[in-house]
Amino acid sequence: MADLDGAMLGAWCAAALRSATPLLLAMLGETLTQRTGVINLGVEGEMLMGACVGFAAAATTGDPAWGLAAGALAGLALSSLHAGLVLGARANQIGSGLAVWIIGLGLTSYYGRPFVGGRVESLRPLGAHAADVPPVLRAVLDQITPTAPLALLLACLAGVWLYRTRTGLMWRTVGESAEVARALGLRPARIRLQAILLGGLLAGLGGAVLSVDYTQTWAQDITKGKGLVAVGLVIVARWNPFLVIPTALLFGASETAALRLQASGIAMSPSLLAAMPYLLALLVIVLSQARARRTGAMPADLTAIFRTG
Amino acid sequence: MPRERRARALASAALAPLVMAGVFLLVAGGFFLSIGKPPLRTLTDMVLFAVGDAYSLSETLVKTAPILLCALATLLPARLGLVSVGADGQLFVGAIFGTAVVLAWPAAPAVILLPAMLLAGIAGGAMFGLVPGILRGRLDVNETITTLLLNYVGALLVNALVYGPWKDPGNLGWPATAAFPPAATLPGLLGTRVHAGLLFGLVAAVVLAAVLGRSRWGTELAVLRGNQKVGRMIGLSFPRQAMLVMTLGGGLGGLAGICEVAAIQGRLQPGLSVGYGLTGFLVAWLSGHRPLLTIVVAFLIGGLIAAGDSLQLYAKVPAASATILQGLLFATTLAVGGIAGRLRRADG
Repeated sequence: MADLDGAMLGAWCAAALRSATPLLLAMLGETLTQRTGVINLGVEGEMLMGACVGFAAAATTGDPAWGLAAGALAGLALSSLHAGLVLGARANQIGSGLAVWIIGLGLTSYYGRPFVGGRVESLRPLGAHAADVPPVLRAVLDQITPTAPLALLLACLAGVWLYRTRTGLMWRTVGESAEVARALGLRPARIRLQAILLGGLLAGLGGAVLSVDYTQTWAQDITKGKGLVAVGLVIVARWNPFLVIPTALLFGASETAALRLQASGIAMSPSLLAAMPYLLALLVIVLSQARARRTGAMPADLTAIFRTG
Repeated sequence: MPRERRARALASAALAPLVMAGVFLLVAGGFFLSIGKPPLRTLTDMVLFAVGDAYSLSETLVKTAPILLCALATLLPARLGLVSVGADGQLFVGAIFGTAVVLAWPAAPAVILLPAMLLAGIAGGAMFGLVPGILRGRLDVNETITTLLLNYVGALLVNALVYGPWKDPGNLGWPATAAFPPAATLPGLLGTRVHAGLLFGLVAAVVLAAVLGRSRWGTELAVLRGNQKVGRMIGLSFPRQAMLVMTLGGGLGGLAGICEVAAIQGRLQPGLSVGYGLTGFLVAWLSGHRPLLTIVVAFLIGGLIAAGDSLQLYAKVPAASATILQGLLFATTLAVGGIAGRLRRADG
């Protein structure tokens, strides 16, 4: 009996992790971008590009791995527009991000039409590779594909890199003060370019994981604000790659809970249940905002963007 | 300032929109070329579909109404330096509140029902705007993120109602409320689908232009936008103004929603807004947050969207192309404006 409960709990956690993976990747990318003092609301559009191109590639080649790779590159490609506008033309970052979002939304609605409602194979679950494991672990492994552990690993690597290496220190310096960085002989624009492109790559990968590996289908505007949630939750994770993991998992768990409650036949509108994750995200953003303000966790150069109208 | 310098500043101010328009036409032409449509032909077709005859013009004006109101809903907070992208959510909640009045008193006479419905719509949008206003004013939570997330909540609230308690059995499973009675229908102007929402938008724009440009309050907002510390020293309260502009802006968004329901859709149903909030944000931005200019830009973008609908019908260009064009227009404006700013700075 205890074993069965354990298996159920394991299945829940696994479902939350799977649901959280796309958000985790996008959040991680945005965290690194914001660390250098650039905010990118275009993450929403980059996720859509990744999801659409990734799905198309997976459907065409029949290989989900190609889909994920293509999706990541598509996200990177769209993020170069944000980089060009923000770094090249010195355009307003909020405006540029929204422009990137609108373009991503339009392009994927346009070119994604033939793929609407299609199905693709996901990556093989980890359980398929493990023959003899206890039921608790089995419940987890049968639901998890390699993308989830990959995302967790990337977040940890990014954390170690950001706080323990020379280049990580350079990125953080640029985010705190481009002027100081310049005085040290660093080139802030180049580092910000790298950060925006890396953020786009991870957002695109997150989108591809969503369409290819999680829902296994493509629908117009499939991300439904996940990229925007990611930008908001970066505040909650206090610009720390390690804290991205629990924050994304919290959102993933709320999404899973909404789906499970709906499936259990609860007498509550599915739309209201679907609104819960957004409200939860709002709640944690509000709760953590006061803290972030007190502790000054926000990269200093980023505060300047929020202050100017 | 030497006269020569002032003349040059004037010339560049006039030149920038022309350069933007030129670059955008090139970009749009390139886009049409890439989807295998003749660029010049498609562009001239779009102008014809936007304003070519009385029907096209009326459809453009139909789109202009919600876009103008949503643009003003963005513009007012922007005059305090706030970046609100929440007009869509306000539009949805305004539609809900107005619909609630109609469903509660379907037999009321028009003289009571119409104003009550419109006021309820304004109140709903205002409430939905007040929430991020409080969060920003009192807790310093960034309003861009909260308004963006609340948009999804607003859309889901409409779905919850029209798939749930408000679903009319007479619709044979179609998720929508019962059709509005004639007493709750906004009359069309001159027998077209153009409705009173356009007049509300025009009046609101003129009033805002006068109030923001000439009143003490307009100056208060400008002072606080420029420097909160200075504002505080002369006795102004940023939190109070943040809540006020978000509430008033939300009211305009709500008005857009209930007008769309009562004049165009005739019932509350999903798909009420085709991104009018985001389009309104773009319009407010393009007009530099100047109310009177917003009228012109809202008309132009309304024409773009109406033409997009017609192109889909007659030239088999999917309607998503209108979204792409809006994004390209936004990006072009940001790029040209940004580069112009850089050149000006380099000029000294």
